[in-house]
Amino acid sequence: MKELVEHTEGINRLMARYGVKFGIYKGGEFHEQLFPFDAIPRVITHDDFQQLEKGLIQRVNALNLFLNDIYSEKKIIKDGVIPEEFVFISSGYLPQCEGIMPTKNIYSHISGIDLVLGKDGEWYILEDNLRIPSGASYPMIAREICRRVSPATFSNNSVVDNRNYAAMLRQTMDWVNTGGIPVIMTPGRYNAAYFEHSYLAERTGSELATCTDLFVEDNFLYYRDYREKKQKVGVIYRRISDEYLDPMTFNPESLIGIPNIMDVYRSGNVAIVNAPGNGVADDKGIYYFVPKMIRYYLDQEPILKNAPTYLPFYDEDRKYVLDNLEKLVIKDVAEAGGYGVIFGNELSSEKLSEMKKLIEKESRRFIAQEVVDFQDMEVMEGEDRVLRKADLRAFVLSGETTQVWPGGLTRFSRNADSFVVNSSQGGGFKDTWVLSQWKK
Amino acid sequence: MRKLKFKYSMELKFSSPVSRHYFALRCVPGDSLRQKITVAECRVSPADYTSADKDGFGNLKISGSCRRLHDMFSYYVAGTAVVQGMTVQKCPLHPMYRYPSKYTEPGPGITAFAEKVSQKCKRQGTETAMERAVCAMHDLYTRFQYIPGVTDIGTTAEQALMQGKGVCQDYAHIMIAVMRQMGIPARYVNGLMIGEGATHAWVEIYTDGGWYGLDPTNDLHIDDYYIKLAHGRDYADCVVDKGIFLGNASQEQKIYVNVEEISDGRDSSVNGTAGGREADDPEKPDHADTSHRG
Amino acid sequence: MGIISMEKVDHLYWLGRYTERVYTTLRVFFHIYDKMIEQPEGIYAKYCERLNIPNIYTSNRQFAMSYLFGENNPDSLRSNMERAYDNAVVLRDELSTTVLSYVQLALDAFEACRKTTAPLLELQQVIDDLLAFWGGADDYVEQEDCRNILKCGKYVERLDLCMRLDYHTENLEKEYRKLCNRLGKTNLVYHEASLNRLEEIILREEHPEQYYREALGCLGALLA
Repeated sequence: MKELVEHTEGINRLMARYGVKFGIYKGGEFHEQLFPFDAIPRVITHDDFQQLEKGLIQRVNALNLFLNDIYSEKKIIKDGVIPEEFVFISSGYLPQCEGIMPTKNIYSHISGIDLVLGKDGEWYILEDNLRIPSGASYPMIAREICRRVSPATFSNNSVVDNRNYAAMLRQTMDWVNTGGIPVIMTPGRYNAAYFEHSYLAERTGSELATCTDLFVEDNFLYYRDYREKKQKVGVIYRRISDEYLDPMTFNPESLIGIPNIMDVYRSGNVAIVNAPGNGVADDKGIYYFVPKMIRYYLDQEPILKNAPTYLPFYDEDRKYVLDNLEKLVIKDVAEAGGYGVIFGNELSSEKLSEMKKLIEKESRRFIAQEVVDFQDMEVMEGEDRVLRKADLRAFVLSGETTQVWPGGLTRFSRNADSFVVNSSQGGGFKDTWVLSQWKK
Repeated sequence: MRKLKFKYSMELKFSSPVSRHYFALRCVPGDSLRQKITVAECRVSPADYTSADKDGFGNLKISGSCRRLHDMFSYYVAGTAVVQGMTVQKCPLHPMYRYPSKYTEPGPGITAFAEKVSQKCKRQGTETAMERAVCAMHDLYTRFQYIPGVTDIGTTAEQALMQGKGVCQDYAHIMIAVMRQMGIPARYVNGLMIGEGATHAWVEIYTDGGWYGLDPTNDLHIDDYYIKLAHGRDYADCVVDKGIFLGNASQEQKIYVNVEEISDGRDSSVNGTAGGREADDPEKPDHADTSHRG
Repeated sequence: MGIISMEKVDHLYWLGRYTERVYTTLRVFFHIYDKMIEQPEGIYAKYCERLNIPNIYTSNRQFAMSYLFGENNPDSLRSNMERAYDNAVVLRDELSTTVLSYVQLALDAFEACRKTTAPLLELQQVIDDLLAFWGGADDYVEQEDCRNILKCGKYVERLDLCMRLDYHTENLEKEYRKLCNRLGKTNLVYHEASLNRLEEIILREEHPEQYYREALGCLGALLA
């Protein structure tokens, strides 16, 4: 591992050459930024990973069953396990998807589950990302380079070779393919994750397409080539959000979507990866209910824990939240992407009582969580090893079976006191090692 | 029960040719517990293809495209409808109709209005959903003015209520917002009504295990002089005629609706239950121009 | 596989043109730079005229820096390299990450060279990267169609530059034949009259240089 750390600069240089970047908008202008790599890996032991794997598969299976249920019979609501308002006021719930049966009944083909490791050695789920989770490409390319820098490190430590993400992804796409070419659709090169879109297209042997390359005719989706020949598309891994996917069904202002693709999808003539409408299952309010879903659909106890969460919607929880607000994190269910997150301990007594009133008045709008005391990770800062907050995004692929990619994206925060591991805030990433059983 | 003959045509002229035109039409009435439809004719032109299917709300939808250059677009639907009015159509409730939607998000105006109606109902001892809905409809009809041109297809219930005037789309949105605020599930309906004119919009409320229609623009119950096209949480869910195209053209739209009663095998033009009611034109052209695309 | 969208055809063609433009003008520039040592100030004016770019320069030295590295100068080699990159970055799945990386490296090299005290010495790196790009393209770009379209761009640009700069014009015929060879293998729709006239000028005119202006017009119209 010393070798890897010594060559951090060289590894980053090689990544720069391969264009490992993400885009951000600063002052209305598009910039591409490198995603700094830290060579000290996150190491997950064989036993730990086995447990994690079981838990993630269980969770994603339950979430898929939930999506299936919500867009058809809604049994979980009728049985009173989840109050209906948490589902139907969610902006992720799309009634336009009612009655659609996705190919092979899979909704979340690629799930990005964010976890943190608590000081108690337990993994806690922070959030589920079932729409278009990004980030797999960075550790993919990092591993490739690291193995080149120090092969011995990998053989001595029995690190599982995880360079199979592209193959897993392609298999997942092939499994639902309705008979046509595979396509990865990008909103365009000025998207934050454009590198990933293009890299995954290359590695999975899919066509990278924008809306101008794709069109609907006779209720099929086609890719148009420059000789005006058309190729039927069987599966589209779209990296644009539901809202923009089809201007005829969703946001009519969308100029990056494919008109009438939802009809093709409804007819079963193309598979959309991930299915539209998944947002209803990765909503902050729904998060609270995932353990209940696991019990309801699978009749199993959840293997992985949620961060302790309270729903002021319930009397008992509301009482606890109001009494303990100063030590809790409050999240506004309607807000996304790091917004609407309030730390109780940062509020003045005045603001605290304001917040309490708001919670009493709009109890459905908030969830409250205990602050998880998670393990910091070592990060190289110049010559020094410093401790930083870090999370793990695990990638779970659902095709013929549900599988966990033995790796993931470990992100860390740049600043010592920051909990934000978001790449746009200047953080970096690490490789994630899963050790094999045969550790030497 | 009444037998109606309907014709619905739409003609769109572009000032200069457009291409890559995609459309989604909810212009064909479907069968339901209140209406049995026989479609005699349904034409969409020009079109490379059309495809008919139900949408997520259960409405009939015809989608298609015309990618080549063209300077006009039209559809024509004609047929007969056997309609039953003023009945509750039994059907399980989808919970989404209980909660605010894009156009029906309550603001202070809607909240106050709903509160006022609720209190009035309480004073009068009005308890059933139906009675409370009719009460709200009547109050809305009284306080809101029918004036075209002051609102547009983007106007929300709250905005329209604050202005105090608008068209049937606005009446329907306000009524829906108020209903949901009062705990009565409600949905938006597009359709045709007796006489000559354009398409109309009204409301259905959920009561006694089913849907029941009310027309707040005319302060009337939906009887057998109405033919329903589509429904949704609000206008956005069930736009009758939606299209996008490539081209920098201005458009001129002509809509013609004619609904007549057929009695004793003879056609005769009957002007409905209420004399002088007019169908209005809520479905302003929604063929958005996407000239920037590509 | 074997399908290329209209948009990608465009990117391939312009990637070919811009990489060739940077490569050849850089080589020509080395000569000019060398000549400037003995020449009076302002010699670049003639060069600008030939390239049909505005002469916005104030001195030999300022010309060298701005023409090579000017970020806000749309005619600078760096700007052209950026355009090459803009076209390349949307072609990762056609080109492969390996081949794309040489365009990235060439662009990065511009940035690095500017900061050195002997920029021209270091610019050799850009030439090396571009040669590696072309070698890589031959070797790694799987689809023959892609390679052919890329090369069409390259040879159009080369013919254009040779005529404009009077640079190795003895090779015009050879370069022209390369272009025809590639063009024939694609399904690109091209302007036939332009190609015929170009052939006439290059192969049959006694003094082709008298017709360069016209030939440049033909080249421009060929795949417009």
